[in-house]
Amino acid sequence: MSSPTGAHGEADATKQENEQQPQSTASTDATLNARAKSSNGAKSQGPKKWLIALIAIIAAVAVIVAIAVTRGKNDDANTSGVTKADTVTIGLKLAPVSLDIRHQSGSAIEQVLIGNVYEALLSRDSDNKVQPGLAKSWDISKDGKTYTFHLNQNMTFSNGDKLDADDVAWSINQLKEKQYYNANQVASLDKAEAVDANTVKLTLSTPDSNLLWYLTGRPGLVFDKNAKYNAKTEAVGSGPYTVESFDSASKMVLKANPKYWGTAHKPATQNVVIRFLTDDNAAVNALKSGDVDVLSPVNATLAKSLDTNTYRVSAADGSDKFVLAFNCANSKLKDKRIRQAVRYGINHKEIIASRGNVDYALGGPIPSVDPGYEDLTSLYPYNVDKAKQLMKEAGYSTDNPLKLTLTYANTYGTELGDQLKSQLAKIGIDLKINYVEFSTWLQDVHTNGDYELSLVDHAESHDFYKWTTPDYYFHYDGKQAQELYAKALKATDEKQSADYLKQAAKAVSEDAPADWLFGYRVTVAVDKHVQGFPGKLSQTVLPLWRISKTK
Amino acid sequence: MRFVVKRLVLFVAALIGLSALVFVMLRVLPGDVAAVIAGTNATPERIASLRDDLGLNKPLVAQYGDWMLGLLHGNLGVSAVGGRSVAGQVVTRMSVTFPLIVLSLLIALAIGLPLGCAAVLARSHRLRGLYHGIAIVAGAIPALWGGLLLILLFSRGSGLLGLLPAQGFPDDGWSSPLRALASLTLPALTTGITAGASIMRYTRAAVRDMASSQAVDMAMACGMTRTQAVLRVALRLATPQLVSVIGLTFAQMITGVMVVENLFALPGLGAMLVTDVGNRDLIAVQSELFLLAAFFLLLGLVVDVAHRALDPRLKTAGITSGKATA
Amino acid sequence: MSASKIVISSIWSKVGGKYALVVIGLWLLTAAASLVWTPYPLLDTDGFNVWASPSAAHPLGTDGTGADVLSWLMAGSRTNLLIAVLTVIVAAVIGLALVAAMVSRSGALASTSVVVVDALISIPTVLIALILTVPFGASAAVVVASCGCAYGLNLARILRPSAMLAARSAYVESALWSGASTVRVFFSHIVPNTLPVLCVQLSMSAGTSMLAEAGLTYLGVGVGAGVPSWGHSLSTSVKFISIYPMAVLWPGLIVTMVVVALNLFGDALRDALDPLTNPALREDS
Repeated sequence: MSSPTGAHGEADATKQENEQQPQSTASTDATLNARAKSSNGAKSQGPKKWLIALIAIIAAVAVIVAIAVTRGKNDDANTSGVTKADTVTIGLKLAPVSLDIRHQSGSAIEQVLIGNVYEALLSRDSDNKVQPGLAKSWDISKDGKTYTFHLNQNMTFSNGDKLDADDVAWSINQLKEKQYYNANQVASLDKAEAVDANTVKLTLSTPDSNLLWYLTGRPGLVFDKNAKYNAKTEAVGSGPYTVESFDSASKMVLKANPKYWGTAHKPATQNVVIRFLTDDNAAVNALKSGDVDVLSPVNATLAKSLDTNTYRVSAADGSDKFVLAFNCANSKLKDKRIRQAVRYGINHKEIIASRGNVDYALGGPIPSVDPGYEDLTSLYPYNVDKAKQLMKEAGYSTDNPLKLTLTYANTYGTELGDQLKSQLAKIGIDLKINYVEFSTWLQDVHTNGDYELSLVDHAESHDFYKWTTPDYYFHYDGKQAQELYAKALKATDEKQSADYLKQAAKAVSEDAPADWLFGYRVTVAVDKHVQGFPGKLSQTVLPLWRISKTK
Repeated sequence: MRFVVKRLVLFVAALIGLSALVFVMLRVLPGDVAAVIAGTNATPERIASLRDDLGLNKPLVAQYGDWMLGLLHGNLGVSAVGGRSVAGQVVTRMSVTFPLIVLSLLIALAIGLPLGCAAVLARSHRLRGLYHGIAIVAGAIPALWGGLLLILLFSRGSGLLGLLPAQGFPDDGWSSPLRALASLTLPALTTGITAGASIMRYTRAAVRDMASSQAVDMAMACGMTRTQAVLRVALRLATPQLVSVIGLTFAQMITGVMVVENLFALPGLGAMLVTDVGNRDLIAVQSELFLLAAFFLLLGLVVDVAHRALDPRLKTAGITSGKATA
Repeated sequence: MSASKIVISSIWSKVGGKYALVVIGLWLLTAAASLVWTPYPLLDTDGFNVWASPSAAHPLGTDGTGADVLSWLMAGSRTNLLIAVLTVIVAAVIGLALVAAMVSRSGALASTSVVVVDALISIPTVLIALILTVPFGASAAVVVASCGCAYGLNLARILRPSAMLAARSAYVESALWSGASTVRVFFSHIVPNTLPVLCVQLSMSAGTSMLAEAGLTYLGVGVGAGVPSWGHSLSTSVKFISIYPMAVLWPGLIVTMVVVALNLFGDALRDALDPLTNPALREDS
């Protein structure tokens, strides 16, 4: 399998970025120390002696508590002096709200469950390439319409039930029939049939070069057709781990599945505890106090305070794209000059710098980890003069600004909105920020398409189809992109398909139905005793079975 | 007795009114749980079928009826998102919030009562001024800021002294009681100090009023020192007033408690409420809001009845005495 | 000397009163000044200079977008002033209306309103705000409404004893006998009797509303995004306390200083308005 050259280039860029980090860490530390000292001086002179005296008493109690706690911990460490720890604790930011992977949206649930608890027909590695999964091999017919999968032998679910071709065919047909989450990704798939116990045949209405990749995700998951369980709170899958307990407010405990059928993905660690730490400061505290061994993601700014002798801190590419969508059905934004002006008027470097200088400028709809990626940032470089010129042609200026409203969810912080408002004011756009709850955004923007500008993180990989679906909330109807994408899907040769995708992405970007603010790069902090934590794409593919920890 | 009955009737009426208010207000919200579950890749058909599955297409009156019927049977419903019983979730979250509130209240009392009495007993003008200043400054610190200052002073990691955990709660909860207690200490101090300042002001005012009463003069005539008379007689006389003040302080402390839960990343009731509203998990939200409101209504009822029972004068006068003012 | 001059000079004569007048005066000045001038426009962001330490260019540093913290705090004083004033008005209206009902001569109305106040008074501000934010979204109006309701109930309960005394007094009886309307009697005879307590309570309410604004805004049910307020500045500074601890200092300090000033102002005003403690008032009248 060949990989697009773009991906290689990006990987190198990542490394450079990482190498620069120690330097900046050192300098921040110095300023930090200075700041800590000055704040020390300022506070101790405060008149609140009574407060200090009062707290001193409680502090004394606290000291005893603290000592007791740390002592308890040390005892723990001494008794289990083995080389390999039987438990690894991983801190994640986003928690799945339920375990119902067939209904519940979001990448958090995929990250935790796919490949670990539930397995798909195929699997995906950290370079986003398709690998064998429940199927050990597959054949594709010449016309690209029939896929035959050869399953592994003697597979079982965690409840002991046998997993065979019947379960696979049933799962895929159910997906189509009940329209489970992401069923629309495999719209070209007609039906699945079990040929014999270890062979499954999928029939397509049209060829789809993305099919194999989609089968590594939710559409390819295989469920036990005989098992009855509450899918929101329990999970019965065939993966290397089982869910021991789950509370979306605190943690998920995973135990190695004793009935695991495979050898390739055998767990390196018996127990994996996943803690959900939504608060960035609390997360870093948990890492520093040893409550978690890995933090993914760690806030890029806070990560600078981590000791690089103890932790490996690195940033890796993922598929997250922060999309500033322009409603192409809106009367003001139908004018291409305005859309272009916005793109010229946004200083991506500045936005990225304010976020800790980790993310990468994107410039187009395809992220660096996907086929068809190329650096499109040169299409609309930051150029205030050009932006002003375009606005002027459209009839607006800083004295007579165009009023636009940006609707986005409050999960992304107020900073992005304030920055955009400030940057666009310079080119003659008076941006109003409508900062709403995510559920309101879903209703207004996504479902009703009632918006002017919208900002959201489109986290999924291989989701270019959103730009070729005119009734998606972008309301973008680009014929050229649609044709090119159709060709990419039909192409049986991977390289050729990627080529078409590249052209399609460029066509979309040129049309400016959106601005891609940046590609989010996940910063991960890993204790140096931990091995096997993946680099790229860890937000969607997190093979827990690789992770181990030495003491 | 008539008073208690009247109060009870009103309590029930208020509960029913509140339940209707909460129910209606939540239905006005834009967005629904089906859309949240379905996410950004959803087709309209997919959302429609989810709405059906979740029973969101039933008429509102039927939904309200179902909910009330459940409540009468002590069933708070099942979360549409997480699939767990709301009651169970509330109990889990209360295991963080309740100890936090109790701890805060204890700290507040430990600060407020002695300092309030000391302020009355203080002889020098300057000392009295100092106590007054303490009460005013401590009561003027926003909970958020107070919490931050405590973090900067005492927390491990970012504080100067590094004694206590800054944020978070042990993931195994109270099965490691010391750690759990340690992580509640700074949050409880934050709310406790502010509430303590207000209890101190009220205590000072109430005890001062009583200290100039005849009863105290009498006690001193019988040979008690002023200190003894104030602590034994005046404080006791002020108790009924203090009970209702503490009840109110408790209610006002809740804003602070929600802030510190958020600031210290504690998985308590406040965090749950915010998450559930965000997910538009209305079945959960309405029961949670209702429970909270019912709790505070009940608290008001208990405090009022207690106040009456403790202060026999009110029975004859037929007036609820006013709150002491600082 | 006019009565208002006496009151102000008697407030000024005390240390606490002096502090209160200075701080409140500065607050009003800043709010007025920010209408026409702040060191930088609020949205003068600079992504390359975020979380900067205090410097000559930015005396209080910059925030997470690189905007000037001082400018935001100055502009915030406006929002907070508005919230304080409106909260006091709403609380006074609700409180006085309830007092009027509680001391009314209709027994049913009086006893019902007493019980209603007693029942509702324990509902916390944050709960009202949470319920209000649900349909209306976060805004300064939510802060005003929820604080106004909660403090109005509180006020009614506190004013009741003194209002009751006045309402049953001989001069109110005689005023009513001589044909004065009940509304007139309420405002000319009953309210003035509660004035010292009313002033203390209202200025404390103004202070508490500042604290509530900070808390509610942090919880996302207060002042909306992009609107400058002290609570907004405080909430944004929380994000990186462990590495930028100094950012937290200013907004909190300002809120605390203002709330102290409002409370001291209330105390001083009470003393200044009460003829028992202010001899100047006695001499004049």
